[in-house]
Amino acid sequence: MFERSRIVLLAAVSSALLMAAGCTMRQPSQPLYADLGGQPGIAAVVENLMYRIADDAHIVGFFANTNIDHFVASLEQQLCDISDGPCQYQGPPMDRAHQHMGLDDSHFNRLVEHLDAAMIDENIPLQTRNRLYARLAPLHADIMRLQ
Amino acid sequence: MRVTQRAACQLLCCLLLAALPLAASAGSRLLATGGVTQIEGAAGGGLSPWAVLAGTPSSDEVGLTAAATRAWLNDYRLSVGGVGVNVHDRLELSLARQRLELTTLGGELEQTIAGGKLRLFGDLLYHPWGIWSLGVQHKWLEDGDLARAVGATDTRGTDLYLSGSKLWFAAVAGRNLVTNLTLRHSAANQGGLLGYGGDHNDAASLLVEGSLGLFITPRWIVGTEYRQKPDNLSFAQEDDWQSLYSAYFFSKQVSLTAAWLELGSIAGLDDQRGGYLSLQLAF
Repeated sequence: MFERSRIVLLAAVSSALLMAAGCTMRQPSQPLYADLGGQPGIAAVVENLMYRIADDAHIVGFFANTNIDHFVASLEQQLCDISDGPCQYQGPPMDRAHQHMGLDDSHFNRLVEHLDAAMIDENIPLQTRNRLYARLAPLHADIMRLQ
Repeated sequence: MRVTQRAACQLLCCLLLAALPLAASAGSRLLATGGVTQIEGAAGGGLSPWAVLAGTPSSDEVGLTAAATRAWLNDYRLSVGGVGVNVHDRLELSLARQRLELTTLGGELEQTIAGGKLRLFGDLLYHPWGIWSLGVQHKWLEDGDLARAVGATDTRGTDLYLSGSKLWFAAVAGRNLVTNLTLRHSAANQGGLLGYGGDHNDAASLLVEGSLGLFITPRWIVGTEYRQKPDNLSFAQEDDWQSLYSAYFFSKQVSLTAAWLELGSIAGLDDQRGGYLSLQLAF
């Protein structure tokens, strides 16, 4: 009796996961760059993000000596590159770009929260946001390496 | 006992009200990265501790969690109250009080669990290997007569566990998947409520616990848990535990978990299954 109920439970979970997986297979996902809205989509997200950073006393200080136009162009290029768009990131490596800034996880997480909010504002769907995070998450180690 | 319950509810309501103005004081880690409170008071799922530490504090922050849990099984009712402290996302200390009411057999069992969990390395989201932690749970029964009567050797014991958790971004249908594996060294019978060790097997066993959870949205995770159990007492068979759960994070401060439990045979009464609710507050 108990074994049977366990099998039913496992079957229910597995089939739910398979159904969820099936949904993705039916609609072959476009390149991430296209799902982000291409260059205009990325530019809108970055602009939205910059306003959020400007309003956040916890992290805005890190941008005090930053050329914002240059930073925006570089971030757009990086997001384009990392999402398989037609760009090649030309900026400095992530560890050197952030070295000795005194960043910790609280700053990193705050930026992630702002980026998420910016993408939600720009109507980027959850699946697309998660796909982008899958590619951005490994940057954490690079950014924290030289703190 | 009713008075204690009411007092606990009142305390919980006060905590809830107190939490509202503190909305800004939660830690800086992302929503839901501390899991919920498992039945022994550690951060985790419902049945099993995960490698994550309670609440959302980051490296220079301290966080508090409080949880109230109840499970309604065919012949038993389990109530748990627990508190946890997370120091700098490195060390978690927890205290939980379990009460198992034997609604069919009559009577009740109570035990206290003091827990500690040390994050060894890693991060649920960012580290390629996830987060890994070492935990300890020291448990003692309020009244060990029943445990001894059914053949248990001790009425207090210590579990040790190693736990690893990782979130896989966009793993299933673009949703994030959490996986957890816990290895536990324990001699506890039915989590300790029937004592430790026994006439059938007196040595501690190495037990496997696993969890899967899919974030349907960033606030809502559904999944399943499995917890292997020892079988130390000759008077009754002990089965592995399993659950299906759904947890909703209203904010970094408040989460509610509902689950369906399949706990198998407990103290000779077969097919113990039923619902589970757990409310967690975090500051």
